[in-house]
Amino acid sequence: MRTPNLIRLVYRNILVNTDPGSLVILIGLPALYLVFFGFGFQAVASAGGAGNSYLTYLTPGIMSFQVVMAGTVGGSMLWADRRWGMLSQLLMGPFTRLQYLFGIMLTSILFGLGGAAVMLGVAYALLGTIPVQPLALGIIFGSITAGSIFFGGLMLYISALVKSNTAYNSIQILLLFVVNFASTVFYPLSSSLPIVLRVLFQVNPLTYVADAVRGAYSGTLTAMDVYQMLVLLAEMAAILFVATRAYMRSDVSYE
Amino acid sequence: MIGKPLSSVSASGSEPVVFAENLRHSYDRRRFALDGVSFTVRRGEVFGLLGRNGAGKSTLIKAMTTLIQPTSGTLRVLGMDPARDGQKIRRRIGVVQQGESFDFTTVQRNLDVYGMLWGIPRAESRRRRELLLTKFGLTDIRKRRAFDISGGQKRRVQVAREFMHDMEVLFLDEPTVGLDVIMRRTLLDSVREEVRRGLTVVFTTHNLEEADYLCDRAAVIDEGKILVLDSIENLKRLYGGKKTIDLTVGNGDSARFFSVLAEKLGSGATVTTSGNSAVILTQDPKEALSKIAELSQTLGAQLEWLNVRKNTLEDVFLHSVGHGGESLADA
Repeated sequence: MRTPNLIRLVYRNILVNTDPGSLVILIGLPALYLVFFGFGFQAVASAGGAGNSYLTYLTPGIMSFQVVMAGTVGGSMLWADRRWGMLSQLLMGPFTRLQYLFGIMLTSILFGLGGAAVMLGVAYALLGTIPVQPLALGIIFGSITAGSIFFGGLMLYISALVKSNTAYNSIQILLLFVVNFASTVFYPLSSSLPIVLRVLFQVNPLTYVADAVRGAYSGTLTAMDVYQMLVLLAEMAAILFVATRAYMRSDVSYE
Repeated sequence: MIGKPLSSVSASGSEPVVFAENLRHSYDRRRFALDGVSFTVRRGEVFGLLGRNGAGKSTLIKAMTTLIQPTSGTLRVLGMDPARDGQKIRRRIGVVQQGESFDFTTVQRNLDVYGMLWGIPRAESRRRRELLLTKFGLTDIRKRRAFDISGGQKRRVQVAREFMHDMEVLFLDEPTVGLDVIMRRTLLDSVREEVRRGLTVVFTTHNLEEADYLCDRAAVIDEGKILVLDSIENLKRLYGGKKTIDLTVGNGDSARFFSVLAEKLGSGATVTTSGNSAVILTQDPKEALSKIAELSQTLGAQLEWLNVRKNTLEDVFLHSVGHGGESLADA
């Protein structure tokens, strides 16, 4: 039986993007956040969450953080394939533009889910317990998937528009910083925050992912989390539409 | 034997592999990169597209390989419309692009991944990979990253990689750029070998010796137009009775010298100038030489270089590009 094109593209994306150096950064960096921030801020933070432990609070946040990392993987893949001629080569081969796009999206989801699973493993090693129920795992799975598609789409959109390596990297760094730190990944939304930051927190899709994952992780899922998930799904569909449009209209190479 | 030409397993038919009629394409809606191009490529032949940089060769390749849709005109590849049946066409063709295209991994893995992408079974993919690594002299660098090797090695990897899969038509866009003489010949011979087994090749180059060596027919393209199209033999025969004079004027007004000379030589000769040099194609070199000598005395021009030789494909190219298709038709 012939393997579907989409699966072959995803396999190729994983093969060419999983050199040891990239993997260390992709998985190692969030794990370091978990270790350094989890223990480092324990002394100063008495944030909410199970057992009042900052590490317990941070674990679902860092799992959610993986969706942003997954998004950057997707955007970088498109950027590199365009820059190094592989996009045009693949599109002169047996693949369609949409298959290529979905191949990248699926790879991003796999990176997001894989990264979240690794973070769960790291948390287990640090905490000795993971209080996650099977139903909660389903919610976490869905949230990470939706978040990976959203950020994958966002980075694809940027990647389709930006032609300079420096510009792409600068935008990526800025976006990573704002999205991560203006979300509930590291700390809860507080009324003491300036109004601009509060709005930023509330419109940030990563906040929705982090709240849903945290709610499922600690068994404190609220109606607000469900509402946020619905908003996230709508945003995911919108960004996917916009990114697909931009990508379909973009040049396949930089010639 | 590397792969299996698809033509050996599918109905070959007598229809052209590529049929193009009045193709036009513009990237900016102002200038046409292709401007009324018509030609056919027959099954089992090597068809050359000769032209300067920016002549429209790569645009034509992109159209035939479904990467761009021509603005207007008719194009059929393997009997199908690229706009409608792009994926079906692409499953049956191979393309070596002019620019680099690599995965960020080793040479060997680039070939393996490409075989996997084309759905070649693993054992067969390994067999082909080993054969190609040896054939293209890549065995020693198989573990090196494709981006760390030299330009010529990269080109070899790109060509070798394309032979990982089966195809009916191979589009080669300037495949020998950066290759040394031996590797160039190895590549051209590999292509010839595949052509003998039924492969059709569309080949762009501005190296006319290569075209002479490899192509059955060739089209000279310039500014998006095909200036001349015929078999290589016929192209050379067009100038069969003619000789080429290379001439360089060392002082004085060379532009005036060449202009007066062209007038004196009349319609029996064509003069292509470049700075203070000219290439003169004539049926009567003796008369041309005497007129050159006479003119040099009259205008006081010093002749720095004068050489009479037989015509090559390069002259066909120079004269068609320099004067357009009409002078060739007249010749």
